[in-house]
Parts: sequence; C-alpha cells; structure tokens
Amino acid sequence: MDHQAVTVMVVDDHPIWREGVARDLSDRGLTVVATAPDADAAVRIATATRPQVVLMDLNLGTGTGLEAIEGILGALPETRILVLSASGEHADVLEAVKAGATGYLVKSAGAEELLAAVLRTAEGYPVFTPGLAGLVLGEFRRTAGEPAAPVLTDRETEVLRLVAKGLTAKQIGERLVLSHRTVESHVQNTLRKLQLNNRAQLVRYAIEKGLDGE
Amino acid sequence: MTLPDMERPLEPLWRGLLVYRVLTLLSSIAVVLYTLDEFDSGAGAIGVLVVMAGWTAVTTYGYFGGLPGARDGRGRFAIADLAVTAGVMATTPLVQSHAQIAANAPVMGSIWTPGAVLACALFFGIRGGLAGAVVISTMLLLISATFRTELGDIELILLVGIVIGFASTVLRRSAERLRRAVAAEAAAQERERLARAVHDGVLQVLGLLRRRGSELGGDAGELGALAGEQEFALRTLLTTGPAPVDGAGRRDLAAALRVAASSRVVVSTPAHPVELPAHAVDELVAVVGAALANVEQHVGRDAPAWVLLESTGEGVEISVRDEGPGIPAGRLDGADDEGRLGVARSMRGRVRDLGGEIVCETGPERGTEWIIRLSR
Repeated sequence: MDHQAVTVMVVDDHPIWREGVARDLSDRGLTVVATAPDADAAVRIATATRPQVVLMDLNLGTGTGLEAIEGILGALPETRILVLSASGEHADVLEAVKAGATGYLVKSAGAEELLAAVLRTAEGYPVFTPGLAGLVLGEFRRTAGEPAAPVLTDRETEVLRLVAKGLTAKQIGERLVLSHRTVESHVQNTLRKLQLNNRAQLVRYAIEKGLDGE
Repeated sequence: MTLPDMERPLEPLWRGLLVYRVLTLLSSIAVVLYTLDEFDSGAGAIGVLVVMAGWTAVTTYGYFGGLPGARDGRGRFAIADLAVTAGVMATTPLVQSHAQIAANAPVMGSIWTPGAVLACALFFGIRGGLAGAVVISTMLLLISATFRTELGDIELILLVGIVIGFASTVLRRSAERLRRAVAAEAAAQERERLARAVHDGVLQVLGLLRRRGSELGGDAGELGALAGEQEFALRTLLTTGPAPVDGAGRRDLAAALRVAASSRVVVSTPAHPVELPAHAVDELVAVVGAALANVEQHVGRDAPAWVLLESTGEGVEISVRDEGPGIPAGRLDGADDEGRLGVARSMRGRVRDLGGEIVCETGPERGTEWIIRLSR
C-alpha cells in the first residue's frame, strides 16, 4: 500500500507526544491530516478531515477516548480506530474495542511497530496484541452462559488463544495447518462478534427503554 | 454523620434540652396551678412561674446556637442558667406553706431545674455536668434539709450531669477525629488526582525518550532503553497495584499475575477479576514466577515470554510460553531425581498440593509451554 495514501489523525492530550507521533508517521511517508487534544475536538475535526485511521489515546484530559470513538464511528463508520494508550487499563481497552476500535498498542511500542500497526489498521486488519487477545478471550468466556451472547467457534477460540500466547499469525498457521489468510480472518471474526455483542446490547437497551421509535 | 453533625456534634442534644425545658415548664405550671391554694403566697408562686417562663424564653434564644463558625456563647448562658435555677429553688421557703414542705412537696421549679445541669454538662463536658449537679443538689438539701427524702433526686441529678457530660465529651472528641479523618481523606484524594496527572505526563515523556533513543542509537539508545524500563515499571505500578484480599479470603489472580509483566514478559488476562482463595493465588503466582525464572536462566535474560490466564466456569488455566530451544526429554525428571529445588519439584509440588495439574509441552521447534490447570 502506498504510504502517502494513508491518512491519519492523532488524538492525544499531551502536546509533546501528539506532535512526536505525528512527526514520526509523516517522516515515514504517511499523511497526518489532523491532530486533536480532546474527545470533542477529535469528533469535530475527524468529521471535517475524514481520516482513514484515528490513532487514539484513551486517557484524554476532557471527555474520554470511549466517547470520542463512539462519536467518530457514529459520524464516520468506515474510519478505523487504533487505540494507543499509556494507561494499559484493561477494562478501558476492552470497552474501546467493544465500541469499535480495531486495534490496541501500548505507547511503549517502537516507532516501526507503530507504523506497521497503522498500516495494518488502514488495510482493515485488526491489530491484536497478545494482551488484547487475552482480554477478548476473557470477555467471551465471561459472557459464555448469557442468553443471546455470541459464541466463538472452536477454531476461533483456538486461534485467539494462540494469539494471546504470543504466537504470530505465521506460527499459528503452521501449528494449525491453516493459511495465513485464514488465521487473519478468524481473528477478524472474533472482533466482529465482540462488537456485534455490543451493538446487540445497545439495541436491546433501546427497545427496553422504548427508544425504538414507537 | 453529615457535615453539619460533624462540625457541631452536640446540636441535636441542645435541641433536646430546649424541648425538655419547655415540657418541664408546662408541667411545673400545671402542678403549681393545681395546688395553688396550698401555697402561703399564691401570688408569689405565680410570680416565680412567670420568671421561669421568661427565663425559659431567654435560654431558648441563648441555647439555640448561632451560625456555624460564630463564637459559642452558650457557656455563659449555662452558668447564668444555673444561677437563675438556684434562685428559683431558693424561693421555695418564701412561697410554700409549712404543710407543703412537711409533706415533701416538690421544690419550686421541680423537674424544670435539671435543665441547667444538662446545659452545663453539654457545654463544659463531664466536669460541668458534675459541678452543675452538685449546685442543684446542694440547693435541694439546703431547702428541704431532709437528706433522706431527697437522696433519690440527688442521685438522679448527679447521674444526669455525669452521663450527659460524658456523652458530650465523647461526641466532641469523636466528631473532631472524624473531621480530621475526612480532611485527610480529601487531601489524599486530591494528591492522588495530581499524582495521576503527573504520572501520566512522566509516562508520556519516558515513552518518547525510549522511542527517540532507539532511533538515534548509541548512548542515546542506551538512555532510551533505560527510560523504557522505567516507563514499564511505573505503568505496572499504576495499573496493577497490590491485589487486596477480600472478606472471604479471596484474591484477584489476574491482578496478581499482571505484576509479573515486564519489557520481556507479556501477561494476558481477562479484564474482569479472577477470584480464587488467597493461598491458591500466592502459589500460582509463585509457580508462574518459577517458570519465568527458568526462561531467563535457560533461554536468556532478554528472552521473551508470554503468560496467559484464562478463566472458565470449571476453573482456571495458566500458560507460560517461551520460544527457546525447548527442554530435552528426560531432563525434567532428572532434576527431580537429583533432589534439587528445580523446576519440576518446585512447580509440580505446588500445583499438586493445590489439587491441580501441570503439563509441559516442549519441542525444538516450539519452545516450552507450561500449562497449569486448577478446578474451582
């Protein structure tokens, strides 16, 4: 993929970090179309500049990253959100992914790792660190007994567990005798089911509260 | 306790005193009017009632308490109250008939008089209560001069003075302690809020140092690596914290395992707490620690390792994986036979004692993976 064709917005309340990351990405050929310091500005500026990828810190000064994710995806459902957080807050990260973020990196990730993650995100692939896989796996296990909760197939669970144990897609493919693509699609499905669960909850909540337009 | 209660803990008792004052005044008036023809001086008795009513009005105003923070002038009212009450009692020989005194009729003021003792006890604490009770009791003795018949009343008055005085002292002290505790808690919360902001900033700068350093290489790279280690340590400290033991003696295994994370060890857990008996958590953390130490020893100091905690309805499963050369067949059992506190003995023994199982999957192409399973 042509790096320059990838448009990115960086959302972070720390100016030094925000500008540093933006410069890193543009030095490597990506087009940073905007930066924003808080949730409100992020939603407003994203709507105006329509970036492909939003690189988002969850710990914003005013408003939460979660609000920003919901706001941006509400206006621009095609935008990909990559969470880049210093907090490592497990529950927050899980909520962000349920709200529609497709990847998560800690801020200690190196510049090359970050670039690779942004490019993967732009291509539509989830960025699954072992930590995120563990959180998603835990969430499916937690909701396992609940009625109407989506369940993973055995194969999807197997793939997700190997991701959580730190294996790369290539290693997983070798171990399970699957193609690299198939492994990717299993990972993508787990994420889609998790987000579906969240949307289903929203719809159920809306119906219970009588917000379904009747 | 609400905030006003904490600032002025005795307020409800003062209100109670006012009610007591008014009710006992009404009762005294009723008794005197009912027996008015027995008095030597009916007009005098009514005059005393008027004084009592007037003084009750004055003390109602005086004991009501000013605005919070205003100087509390109730001490002087309490002393004046004691004097006026003693004065009311002193009128007894002037207005009552000999027949009344001989028949042990109540002194003037009767049950209205302990109000002054209550006021002294509330304001001055146990010493005030005791002093007030002694004054009123002395008046009783002087007026009736029949020690035996008044003994019960004196005991009651002393009791009231001491108990209410003691309650007042204790309430004041505990309210002061509570006020200090609340202030300390508020200060701690504010400090924590500030610390979060500072820590977040420090994390950002350390992270940036690490990235810039690794790009520049050389000495800067070394500095960057050091910054990275500190960043990791601080983040672990901030996001894990000690996992507390709850009332049922259970701890969160997920939080306890996350402490093991480092720049070379990735720990993946569910987002929700995985609660197990505290002893089991300690043992499992020790087993994981032993497995990680083993990776460091046999694969390399910088060798990466992955820990995964899964929790299902049936139990928990922990995996500790590395990408080292694997363990040659027979070596684990050898370590056991030699009696060294090696991998096998320490880890297998601990897991077996918990009633769980531990298996090792190893091979030259796939490193080593320890899998620990424990049923609930």
